[in-house]
Amino acid sequence: MAALLSSAGRLRALCSRLLPLLRPPAAAIARPPPPASRNQIHQIRFLTVAPQQEGSIKEEAIPEIQTRRPWQFDLALSKMDNSVRKTGRIPKALLLKIFHDVCKTGCPGGNQTLLLLRSCGALLPEILPPERTELAHMIWDKMKELGAVYDTSHYNALLKVYLQNEHKFSPTEFLAKMEEANVQPNRVTYQRLIAAYCDEGDIEGASTILGFMKNKDLPVTEAVFSSLVKGHARSGDIKNAENILSVMRMAGVEPGPDTYLSLLNVYAEKGDIDSIKKTLEEIEKTEGYLMDRILMQVIFSLAKAGYPQYVEDIKERIRFERELIPDAMNLCLTLVTHGFEDIGFHILKSFHHLSRENMDQGSFFLQHCVTRDMPLNKLKQFCVELKEAKMHSAPLPFILRCALEANKSALAVDVMKMMKEEGLPLRPHYSWPLLAQFQKEKNLKGVFEVLKVMHELGVELDAETYTDYVFKNFPDSETALAQLKKNDCLFETVGLSVAEIRYAAAHGRLNKVLSLLSSASTPPIDFRLFRSSLISGFKSSDDVQLWSKITELLYKDERYCLTPPGPTEAVGYFLYHLIDSMSDSEVQAKEERLRQYFHQLKKMNIVIPTTFYSGICRLLDSSQVPELIKEARLLSHEISPSAENIPESAKSDVSALEKKLEKRKAENQPITDVLKQLIHALCEEENMQKALEVKAKYEPDMVVGGYAALINLCCRHDNVEEAMNLKEKVFPKDSPVALDTGKYITLVEALGRHGRVKDAINILTEMKEKDVPISDRTVASFFRILNAAAMRGEVETVNRLHETIVNLGLADTAVLHSPLITVHLEKDDMPAALEALIDCYKKYGKVLQLHNVYCRLIEKGDADLLQKVSDFISREYGDMMALYDLFFAFLQTGKYKEARKVIETPGLRAHSGRLQWFARRCISNNQMDTLEHLVELTQNLFECDRDEMYYYMLQLCENNGDWQKAEAVWTKIQEENVVPREKTLILLADILQQNGQAVPFEIPKDKREDTSSLGASNVEERKIRMLCKTNNAKEAYDVFLKMREKNEFHSRSYETLIKALLAQNCLEEAIQVKHIAETHIKGFTLNSAASSLLIISQVRRDYLKDAISVLKGMLDSGSLPTRPAVTALIQALAEKGDLKNLQTLKAMLEDITQPISLSPSLIPNAVALAHTKNNDLDAAVEYLEPLLISGAQNPDQAVRNISYLLRKVSEDGLEPALEKFGVMAERLASQFGIYRPVTDLFLQYVSADRVDDARSLVQRYGALVEEKRTLLRFMARSATKPGQAKNIKTLLKLIPEHLDKEIAYHYLMKCYELDEDVASVKAVYEEIKGENVQLHELSLKSLAAFLRKVGEPVPFTEPPETFKFYAEKWRKRKLEAS
Amino acid sequence: MAAARAVRAAGRRSRRLFDIFVTQLPWTVSSKEVKEYFSQFGSVQRCQLPFDRDTGFHRRYCWIKFSSAQDVQNVFQKDSHILEGAKLILKRQSQRRYDQRKSQSE
Repeated sequence: MAALLSSAGRLRALCSRLLPLLRPPAAAIARPPPPASRNQIHQIRFLTVAPQQEGSIKEEAIPEIQTRRPWQFDLALSKMDNSVRKTGRIPKALLLKIFHDVCKTGCPGGNQTLLLLRSCGALLPEILPPERTELAHMIWDKMKELGAVYDTSHYNALLKVYLQNEHKFSPTEFLAKMEEANVQPNRVTYQRLIAAYCDEGDIEGASTILGFMKNKDLPVTEAVFSSLVKGHARSGDIKNAENILSVMRMAGVEPGPDTYLSLLNVYAEKGDIDSIKKTLEEIEKTEGYLMDRILMQVIFSLAKAGYPQYVEDIKERIRFERELIPDAMNLCLTLVTHGFEDIGFHILKSFHHLSRENMDQGSFFLQHCVTRDMPLNKLKQFCVELKEAKMHSAPLPFILRCALEANKSALAVDVMKMMKEEGLPLRPHYSWPLLAQFQKEKNLKGVFEVLKVMHELGVELDAETYTDYVFKNFPDSETALAQLKKNDCLFETVGLSVAEIRYAAAHGRLNKVLSLLSSASTPPIDFRLFRSSLISGFKSSDDVQLWSKITELLYKDERYCLTPPGPTEAVGYFLYHLIDSMSDSEVQAKEERLRQYFHQLKKMNIVIPTTFYSGICRLLDSSQVPELIKEARLLSHEISPSAENIPESAKSDVSALEKKLEKRKAENQPITDVLKQLIHALCEEENMQKALEVKAKYEPDMVVGGYAALINLCCRHDNVEEAMNLKEKVFPKDSPVALDTGKYITLVEALGRHGRVKDAINILTEMKEKDVPISDRTVASFFRILNAAAMRGEVETVNRLHETIVNLGLADTAVLHSPLITVHLEKDDMPAALEALIDCYKKYGKVLQLHNVYCRLIEKGDADLLQKVSDFISREYGDMMALYDLFFAFLQTGKYKEARKVIETPGLRAHSGRLQWFARRCISNNQMDTLEHLVELTQNLFECDRDEMYYYMLQLCENNGDWQKAEAVWTKIQEENVVPREKTLILLADILQQNGQAVPFEIPKDKREDTSSLGASNVEERKIRMLCKTNNAKEAYDVFLKMREKNEFHSRSYETLIKALLAQNCLEEAIQVKHIAETHIKGFTLNSAASSLLIISQVRRDYLKDAISVLKGMLDSGSLPTRPAVTALIQALAEKGDLKNLQTLKAMLEDITQPISLSPSLIPNAVALAHTKNNDLDAAVEYLEPLLISGAQNPDQAVRNISYLLRKVSEDGLEPALEKFGVMAERLASQFGIYRPVTDLFLQYVSADRVDDARSLVQRYGALVEEKRTLLRFMARSATKPGQAKNIKTLLKLIPEHLDKEIAYHYLMKCYELDEDVASVKAVYEEIKGENVQLHELSLKSLAAFLRKVGEPVPFTEPPETFKFYAEKWRKRKLEAS
Repeated sequence: MAAARAVRAAGRRSRRLFDIFVTQLPWTVSSKEVKEYFSQFGSVQRCQLPFDRDTGFHRRYCWIKFSSAQDVQNVFQKDSHILEGAKLILKRQSQRRYDQRKSQSE
């Protein structure tokens, strides 16, 4: 914060410089847009990143990459990327780890390789340059071997690494290599080659390349000029080097930081401190740049060139603020690496003034010194000085840790000795890293040595040390002890005893535990120290005797109950944990042993506190061992949850309700319900007029609910007057009856719209008083209401409504306040808007609409107000936020120069959330220019995720299909030396491909299939899809076969083709396509619909096994099959009598019967049928009967009907079976009162034309006619297939008085219509007329249509409404009948 | 079965209320020091500080189990906790073990 505060002064100064610019004509600062290339600056950027916690020794933990999953690998890569962004460096270990990981996975992606390569330069300040180049070459070769494809970006990255490492190479050979690999150099390549020549002072070489560039019409950028500065200087021509600056100015390129750095380095190399000073002063005068980072580079150049005496001159010009920390850290590391640790330490101490409490400084420095094997006395000196300067609270423990981490055991021991001298505590676990390492190395001598040293240092090692780090080196604890003794490092301590006991217990050697515990030489030990080992020992042993004896010992031997609660508590706790640690099945398996154990404990008079008893009881209960609970004399309890679903009532339609209402009224029946329904129906139809009429007509019978609906309706129709009248009448303020929230809201909204603010406020108050529930939706509505008023510019309305809502505490979210400001923006009253903004902040602590306010102010050029709002934000949120707001507003209003000034404020860091907010805004508003400026201007912003920024640009490119821009982004990415993430490359490739362009790099592999659909195979693929759509599956298949050699398709295309083939019963072809798809696309799976179709086809072909495996695959992958598919499969298995597979299927489908609404009776019926098919009728009945009985009691998931079974046995002529099931059905009816089976039997007789059997059945079991719904469904089903009219006729004959005639005749008529039996239709119509049955309108409608179709006259008036209308009515009618 | 499971869940939930998860522990402390530190707020039942056996360093986080909710409250009444120069980060822990056991036994 200090840094930002210090920059605040600069900010204010900046603002006052900036704001006048707003007044036209803007006096533009003489600084042209930066040249396209700022390579040098990027190099600096890598060193310039945010400060970070120094408390931790490693800035970036090295991720564990054990499993080779790709996503973990990506994670590691992003970690590396992150490290670069945040610290400007990469730990070598991380880089190597990732490199080895890539080697193991094989197939490196283009950007992965790029990331690795790029990391081998200045990003590794902890390694000497030659080693870094070696690393780069190793990576280059290895990746190539693994199949990496190199493009221009890779060659450019390698060049950059060479430059950063000052690696000598031949640029011409490099170019030749590129040419050989058929990779085109681009502008970035040439720039870097020039730099390479210049490093060698080879102006001639540089000029050759410059010639190439000119030939290709490539722009000569600042990067080129700054290289030339160096080139001339290194060729010994300082004059010419200095001259370059004016040359470039003449060429229209303004010298920037790159150029100046180049010049300063040149002077530094010569030790020309005077020129350096002179130049710095000049720069400060003309540019006003903050040169700190550049100065640090100069320090390094001076150190390297052998002029340490001038370092102080430069150092004192640097302002060591917080934002400089990452750069300074990297400088220090580089200096230490190059052997200039004293200079490094000198720099480090410059940050002394930034030290804070509880925050150590310089850890990174100490660590690097340890890594570079600095001698002990040097380390000690640094530690002492850091401690004296109060920069580090515990440097010695810190370097101990470094030594331990680096496995430098000698150093670690020396440091521990120093610590002891200093009186610092030494702890057992300090020895663990050493022991762990020796264990890994199988170095027993080392282990013994550590034990001895720790003993000498007076550290008593604890049990963990022995258990985890000593015993493990030996086959068992006895050998360990013997060996320790032999090597003079056996020190008998409590820790050792505990470790011994633990070891024995954990290895299930309870007798050894018992003997150790009873041994007189064992010291007193808190038994909690070995409790968990003991538990596992108990669990692995079955010796109840030993369990009991050990428990008794713990209970009675005072040595093991040292803690105050005493043995009762301790043993209780132990028992509880013992049971708790066992799984249910374990408890069940050991039930008998536990019983004996409890018994014995009781005999030993061991008592346990009640709390543990009940705890143990709970555990036993959940493990379902009630007998044991008894044994432990414990209680148990039960909770039975219940849930109920209340079905929603059906809606009604207006005309029917009206009729009904009138009828009831006429019959003097109560009408309130119907009236309410009618009002609701009218409201649904938005028929306010009619609704009000109905209300007026039946006023006395109106109920509250009806009024509420009416009020809402009036509001919607803007009839506020009526709404309020009704409301006052029915829901007066003082009545306890309240409207629901939504209706209140609608009312408030309407009142607001009509300017009846006072009424609206009253309603809001009433809402509060009546405690109406407020949901998120309500709050959103409040906002809508306020915002609507704001858009109308009604200040008063907004303010008063807002005040009411907030004061009443109805809602309190930030968004609710923004209309307070919006309203002024709408009216273009900026002072008021600003005042509202500040007021909002004061009252609610929220700043709202800021961006809009800023933009408006900038547009209006109101510098005073702008200053005011900036000051305000700075004060309340800090400069950073104020700067961002200002930055975005300048960008938004196209004032890029001002925006640049703002974003370059020293100390400003990337705030990804804010950047994202603005970038997304640009994308959604399609503002490419603004976005491009955002990306460009944030180039040097600390910690800015460059890839992310370019990704935003690409997103917008994609939206606009702008491939040229996308390509330009690609070059920019290289120039900036950014490694794009895979998703960025994929997006870029997508854009290029979609627009028919070649992709100049390798598209990341794992995503390729998604993008390929947009590529070459596009045409064929579309053709296949089209053919499928037009039912030409065969033809599509032919096209597919021709194409498949050449192309891979999108998974959707495969699926479409498979579905189409299946639909046309081409199973073999479909399976063939599926196989091909599976080889092309890893993890290809068909979607649910296609798989279900496949199952049906397979069942049809009798490939039941395949069908089952398809079904299993579907369920495993979590997709649901369709009901027809499952039904077909089940029935096929039943027909085959395949009980085994039916059972398998049953288990598989258990969880999905409800989701796919499979009848719960289907599988039981199928199983019974399968038994029948296997000639085992008894088994069928034995299986089915109990299910039907329990099904009648348990309404969920009940097995009730047996119609499928009966139909099947009847159709197959299995008379004995039918008889057997018939007997069962009758038994269920007579003994259990379960009538559904007998009804099924009855209907089966009816369908099979066995009228006599049916009659006799209904005479015996009259109650079966009460199964109304079953009868109804039977009739309905009969009417869907031709030739079934007799079923209904038989029913009409057998049980006429139990049928709803209207319905029965309706279906009968439909049956005849389906059969196109005109004569019967007419006969039935006459019969109906004769019986005086009123036919339903739907029947009449359908009859009329039928008669017309067959050319007969219609002997009645056809109902006027549509089919749909009557069908709906019919549906309701049916509901009533069942 | 469902009922039993509910009972078990309830039981375990009630037991887990007194846990604290601590991160950013300095490498110099072991569970002994952590326990000592937190004992000033109440009775520490257990302190679980996992070490990486491979490196011999702990992972800089631990779980502390108190015997009562009051103890936990006491801990959180203190604004910041600093142990051997390191600022600890504390979090109330919820139902961790229940989930573990559940997945084990099912």
